[in-house]
Amino acid sequence: MLLTQDDWYETSRDLDWTFSYVDRAAAFPTEWTGAEGIPEDAWEAWEEPFRVSYRDYVRVQREKESGVKAVSNALQRAGSYDQLPASHVAASQMHMGLITMVEYMAVTMQSRFCRFAPSPKWRNLGVFGLLDETRHTQLSLRFSHALLKHDTRFDWAQKAYHTNQWAVVAAKNLFDDIMLNADCVEACLASNLTLEHGFSNIQFVALASDAMAAGDVNWSNLLSSIQTDEARHAQQGFPTLEVVMAHDPGRAQRIVDVAFWRASRIFQTLTGPAMDYYTPLDKRKMSYKEFMLEWIVDQHERVLEDYGLKRPWYWDDFLYSLDNGQHAMQLGLWFYRPTLFWNTSAGVSRDERAWLNDKYPQWEENWGVLWDEVIRNINAGHIDRTLPETLPALCSVTQLPLGTAMSRDRLAPVSLVRDGRVHHFDSEISKWCFEQEPERYAGHRTVVDRFIGGEIQPMDLPGALAWMGLTPDVMGDDTDGYRWAREYATESKATESKA
Amino acid sequence: MAQQRATRLRTWSAFGDLGRRPSEYEVLTHGMNHTMGATPLELPPDAHGNRWLREHRDGMALTVPDWDAFRDPDRVTYGSYVAMQDDRETYVEGLLERFDKEQHDERLTAGRLDLLALAVTPARYLVHGQQMLSAYLQQLAPGSYIATCAAFQTADQLRRVQLLAYRTTQLSRAHPDRAFGIAERTTWEHHPDWQPFRQAVEEALVAYDWDLALVAFQLVLKPVADAVLLHGLARRLDTVGAPLDSLITDDLVLDAQRAARWTRALLTFLTDADPGNRAVLQGHLDTWAAHGTAMAAAGARLLGTSDIEATALSTWDELLAAGGLTRPGTPSA
Ligand SMILES: [Fe+2]
Ligand SMILES: [Fe+2]
Repeated sequence: MLLTQDDWYETSRDLDWTFSYVDRAAAFPTEWTGAEGIPEDAWEAWEEPFRVSYRDYVRVQREKESGVKAVSNALQRAGSYDQLPASHVAASQMHMGLITMVEYMAVTMQSRFCRFAPSPKWRNLGVFGLLDETRHTQLSLRFSHALLKHDTRFDWAQKAYHTNQWAVVAAKNLFDDIMLNADCVEACLASNLTLEHGFSNIQFVALASDAMAAGDVNWSNLLSSIQTDEARHAQQGFPTLEVVMAHDPGRAQRIVDVAFWRASRIFQTLTGPAMDYYTPLDKRKMSYKEFMLEWIVDQHERVLEDYGLKRPWYWDDFLYSLDNGQHAMQLGLWFYRPTLFWNTSAGVSRDERAWLNDKYPQWEENWGVLWDEVIRNINAGHIDRTLPETLPALCSVTQLPLGTAMSRDRLAPVSLVRDGRVHHFDSEISKWCFEQEPERYAGHRTVVDRFIGGEIQPMDLPGALAWMGLTPDVMGDDTDGYRWAREYATESKATESKA
Repeated sequence: MAQQRATRLRTWSAFGDLGRRPSEYEVLTHGMNHTMGATPLELPPDAHGNRWLREHRDGMALTVPDWDAFRDPDRVTYGSYVAMQDDRETYVEGLLERFDKEQHDERLTAGRLDLLALAVTPARYLVHGQQMLSAYLQQLAPGSYIATCAAFQTADQLRRVQLLAYRTTQLSRAHPDRAFGIAERTTWEHHPDWQPFRQAVEEALVAYDWDLALVAFQLVLKPVADAVLLHGLARRLDTVGAPLDSLITDDLVLDAQRAARWTRALLTFLTDADPGNRAVLQGHLDTWAAHGTAMAAAGARLLGTSDIEATALSTWDELLAAGGLTRPGTPSA
């Protein structure tokens, strides 16, 4: 008789056996399984959050693939790319450069589950994750490759992670850690649960919606299609969290709290500016903070509550950072634009400024004054004064510039000394992360450590740019060619003549 | 304007001077392993992940100037994989329907059921082992072309596990008096003719150096197991009159043949890349070949037909010959 999936599924996951030729512990070392301190039979409670057969997977995914390809071919023929707003294009270049390789890293993480996960059910489910992430890698590469003829910057979809560009280094440090270095349990809690279930919505839902509004149907479509897979495989985090909560809740709390903060800083750096400054004003749906509160914060709190985790101790500071960090990073990204492989949109024309003040009542006081100085320099013809000469001090945990996590009135230095070396942090929260596992961070050298150590020659900005792999054809500049600043010039002249 | 256009890229700069347009497969697969530098991961040099990669991947004796020069002869991409496998699964679905109408399982005789219970259904443990071992080759592969071959091979193993589970369940329903779905684990753990397979899987699972893992699994365990328990089995099932399982196995042979094609290409690639590589591989083969010969002999006993042993060995020899390798005890090529 023909069977339904439920009929045979149980047998397909009954795959453990008693080892007798080698020590089972040697074949499943806890350094990779992450099952230290968790009894072996505890994993029997690990239940797939979704069931899928190979048969259905290849059928459904084949349909998805041909759907995305058809849309993308039609749009390429229509040649709609040239009409897209420059600031929006910049956001898509930033995304492709920083995220494509992360999709490939996720292939390897899922492959780790296929090999070392402490439950055969999880090892099987990892196969679909491995295929999904292969899909995301190849979709992102295909999309970017097709746009090379418009802009060399799309080369960075393939190239970025082979360079030392500082934002790539920051992202690499995080993703190498939680995807390629972490054991299965930690990778699952940090990457599937915190990053994919939590944050990927912001990359694949918020940006997809902004992209659609900006007329970039192709990219929007790609992001949404990726999200349909993410929403599925991200759920691997739940059964894992359940098992760890039953046996080592302290560990679960620590992993999730550290990962949530580190991930929030990366997204604040990349997606924050994209949403609050790059997306054309009339296309903006939500501010970064609004989206975070509605999609990420609520959801994260629900997960914490459902599984018996506490809110992280730093919750109030995290919420405070949502009002500030992305603005600090935006100012930094714009100022350090030659160190980027994408153009930066200033996003502070008068109208945009009104929007920012509406969404962030403290914006003018905290950040407006700094932009005013930038504007004065631009309008006085001193573009050179709006460009960097040195590198900023970096955080030993997030790899991001000091002073970019909170507001301007919270700049008290945070540091500690370990083995004779001073480590600086962008916040008390990052310092706390460091203290949880100092050996995880202490031996790493930030871009600035390497600069000071003489690894980067010549020891000046051009030397640093060359070391970061930045060539003149990709080096970032203002997306609008500084034209946005002119309206301030005419108004200040008007004020002067009246006086 | 003209100057600007001249600097536009036609393809990834990483291809350098390829001298031709890269294929879509190459565009989607090229140069995606960012961990091949002196410190593999952007973490402290002594982080666990860095130590593992340095010891088990970068410390291996194989010398290859450019791992990204390898190509899968089938040029499989995600899109081509799901399309191809959807077709295969549609075909198998058709087989299941057709034979179900003909009361295939109900009509199986005792001797055929014995063969299925002994040589077919217990294989899901073996194939799960192959799934884990394929995934290990993927995660330590020193280049994304090889890793991608291993990724699809990992998925092929899950396909086979699920088809085995499907057939096991069908047989248990048609023959509730037998122990289908219950006895496989005991057979796998204790039947003497399964032990060479289980021993090879368990030992390969602790062969962590990538070159050793490659030889142990991709050049010994998998080709011999496939030769016996796919190629040999399909013929045997056909001979004894179990057409459904014979045809399903025939279809799984296509996956095994695809794996053999990239393995053969990889062997040629490695031995062409550096003359010293052949000796490295041969050295590992010398320590592992006994597992293969034991599996071929035991597999023939499982299938109850001695000629399968010789056929399996010659298929295996032919694969090894692609890298100029020889099984110890056979005249060198
Ligand atoms: Fe993904
Ligand atoms: Fe994912």
